[in-house]
Amino acid sequence: MLDSVTCKIGGEAGFGIMASGSMVAKTFLRAGYHVFTMNEYPSLIRGGHNVVTVRVSALPFESLDKHVHVLIALSKETVQLHNDELDEGAVIMFDPKDGELSKKDFSKSSNIIQIPFIELVTKHKGNPVMRNTVALGALIALAGTDFSYLSGVISEQFKSKKQEVIDHNITIAKAGYDYVRKHFGQITSVKLPPVKPAEKQALVNASEAVGIGALQAGMKFAAIYPMTPINALITFLIQYKKKYAVVYKQPEDEIAGINMAIGASIAGVRSMVATSGGGFALMEEGLSFAGIAEVPLVIDLGMRVGPASGMPTWSEQGELRFAIHAGHGEFLRIVLAPGDALEAYRLTLLAFDLADRYQTPVFVLTDKYMNESQFCVPVSKFEKTVSIDRGKLLTQKDLEGVRDYKRYALDAVDGISDRGLPGMKNGCFMTNSYEHDEHGFSIEESGARVAMVEKRAKKLRAVEADIMPPTVYGDPKADIALVGWGSTKGPILEAVRLLTARGRPVRYLHFPWVYPFPAEAAKKLLEGVGRIIYIENNSTAQFASLMYEHTGIKAHDTILKYDGRPFYPEEIVEKLISLVINN
Amino acid sequence: MASLNVDIFNTGHLPTWCPGCGDFGIWMALKNALSKLNIGPDDGVLVYGIGCHGNMNNTMNMYGCTGLHGRTIPVAQGIKLANHRLPVICIAGDGDCLGEGGNHLIHAAKRNPDITVIIHDNQVYGLTTGQASPTAPKGFITKSTPEGVTDEPINPLALSIVAGASFAARAFAGDIAGLTDLLALAIQHKGFSVVDVLQPCVTFNKEYTYPWYRERLYQVSKEGYVPDDRLKALSKSMEWGDRIPVGILYQVAKPTSEDIEPAIAQKPLVDQPAEPGDITDLLGEFI
Repeated sequence: MLDSVTCKIGGEAGFGIMASGSMVAKTFLRAGYHVFTMNEYPSLIRGGHNVVTVRVSALPFESLDKHVHVLIALSKETVQLHNDELDEGAVIMFDPKDGELSKKDFSKSSNIIQIPFIELVTKHKGNPVMRNTVALGALIALAGTDFSYLSGVISEQFKSKKQEVIDHNITIAKAGYDYVRKHFGQITSVKLPPVKPAEKQALVNASEAVGIGALQAGMKFAAIYPMTPINALITFLIQYKKKYAVVYKQPEDEIAGINMAIGASIAGVRSMVATSGGGFALMEEGLSFAGIAEVPLVIDLGMRVGPASGMPTWSEQGELRFAIHAGHGEFLRIVLAPGDALEAYRLTLLAFDLADRYQTPVFVLTDKYMNESQFCVPVSKFEKTVSIDRGKLLTQKDLEGVRDYKRYALDAVDGISDRGLPGMKNGCFMTNSYEHDEHGFSIEESGARVAMVEKRAKKLRAVEADIMPPTVYGDPKADIALVGWGSTKGPILEAVRLLTARGRPVRYLHFPWVYPFPAEAAKKLLEGVGRIIYIENNSTAQFASLMYEHTGIKAHDTILKYDGRPFYPEEIVEKLISLVINN
Repeated sequence: MASLNVDIFNTGHLPTWCPGCGDFGIWMALKNALSKLNIGPDDGVLVYGIGCHGNMNNTMNMYGCTGLHGRTIPVAQGIKLANHRLPVICIAGDGDCLGEGGNHLIHAAKRNPDITVIIHDNQVYGLTTGQASPTAPKGFITKSTPEGVTDEPINPLALSIVAGASFAARAFAGDIAGLTDLLALAIQHKGFSVVDVLQPCVTFNKEYTYPWYRERLYQVSKEGYVPDDRLKALSKSMEWGDRIPVGILYQVAKPTSEDIEPAIAQKPLVDQPAEPGDITDLLGEFI
């Protein structure tokens, strides 16, 4: 019996692998376990190989671990592709109709259990595509979890369908469940320990978490061109746009998207865009426009493997420098980098306040790994009520009696001037992509230009009050410091836990706020450290160079991964140990 | 309804256009039309592109947005969806919204937002000293095409009609009275209205001059043309040569992109409470 079981479900694309992962996770979540899922798939709809990994544990955890305990292979290819990830004694569920499989096909000892997926489906008059449903039942039986949790999840999954469709799916899942109970009831290696019902948890990916944060922040307008990995946000917004009175527009391209969002923001509503690197490249001129015109805007930039089309459905942290330097000219932007779904929610809430407060673009820098992985988050971690700060936004009443209103008044100490909205009486101004005077009219005179540059530069100093310091985990006095940002958080936290258990405590600084760089806090928290090791999902250690640029602190070592896959805690530990031992 | 005094739009800034530029006529006609419709400086938004046309921005005392080259239309759609009570008018150029931003014109036409696009059509890039624009005719000699334009010109009205615009009209910058009336009708039209304004560039276009146009233009309404047929409108929009039609070539009533948004069925987005949304029920769906 294991505290934590990791299960991989793999098969040909188009066979409902992704949906199976969510259903497995929800089943275990409702049974009281902690869960995490991650999808891996190529950029096509049919014919490739899809796999979803689900980790289930009686205790809270932060990321996947490397070892797979159960492999549900809906094709022989699944076994070939994931053989080396299997743990000693792993259980492999396989339909003999999909080919020959024997112990010698595996590098480690394995427990192959033959389940006639196709035969069970056919027997219950199902379509072969429903093999994954048999597998779900079989997995639940193997874990020793009550079938009622799964049947509940199936009922919900198909709630828009007729009752007979729901019943049919439950019957087919039950066939898998009963088959395993009858023929493999003796297998206990992957049985989960019983748990007391945990606190209510929500199963969300970071895209949905961003969406929840945006709705709670009162976001009213989003223009998002479809692109992996932020498509789940579009689906989310479409689902809730009526209830929360949101306008979602699918623009003709990302250029239109950011310009629409800028238009909506100028008119006074909180607005956002979301995209990935390629789409954001098209948005850059718009970003620069929002910068000079001081338009609040939230940008969810979901990184994936680049350059150019790269590997569209895989993950990377390659766009930190891009987000920081994007757009021509000099202007303030804020870059937040959540480490998981909960941070994605919290930082999205914050992003809308910051955008309004500083009248400038704010990034929520996410990536494919977090946008398409499902995290379980205790419901209590979501705010019941939030207060919204729209900064120096004027009301009609504020403008009453005002003569000669100046939208870009130079006298504000913090560089942030009162912001009126088109349609307000007495408030005429122009939002201008050209350099402008206090009313927004285009100018080219030397003195006026300098004054306006310096006005905007004051905002950069004002924002210092809001900069979030990095979060410190592990032993804050340890000689070795790990430094990371964004979605490396989960695997690094797990690595810290493993290292601590091995008697090798480390300090770990996670940076959810990356720009303007929290230099003072970083310097303080790295005081007295003997060795700093940066862990990043990119090939050039972008954060390490950023740290050096802003603090003068040099990296001692880096652990970098750029194959499109997230880190596993075990590989971080291995690399750290070898770094420390070798030097 | 008393019309406004056009002086209300003065800003103290003077135009920077060349003497005789067609932009003067469009500027005057726009002020007249706004005045006639009683749309004052606080009552609507002008969205300017980048080009000679966009330099109208400093001379209009009215809520404005000078955006990026080619991007007037998406900004205008964003403004309109956020506050659909405001009239929103794009002051665009031919290079601006047919070259750089051609995609936006097509897609806005298909969505039918209630905005007006005034295309300042002078066949050249004036601000960059006279290169050929997308509407430059074949053979037209410009700085960037010393041996003559080799490509077919884009027909902005044919393009708009095919893409789904619900109002398409052509006008002449040299006829301020006629342009005033037409702009007023375009602004009043509920839906996506495109007005292609033939605008002589006295500095860089020696072919399409005021006299050249005056010899050829004719008002379609005077010949009994009724602008209610899409195919006839398409054919009319392609008339070019000895006789060039001006006036409304096409107009149809259909739902706008604002009409179909449930979120703004009751009131504009900007007037809805900014209070945080309650997420309790929503979270329930993720448990």
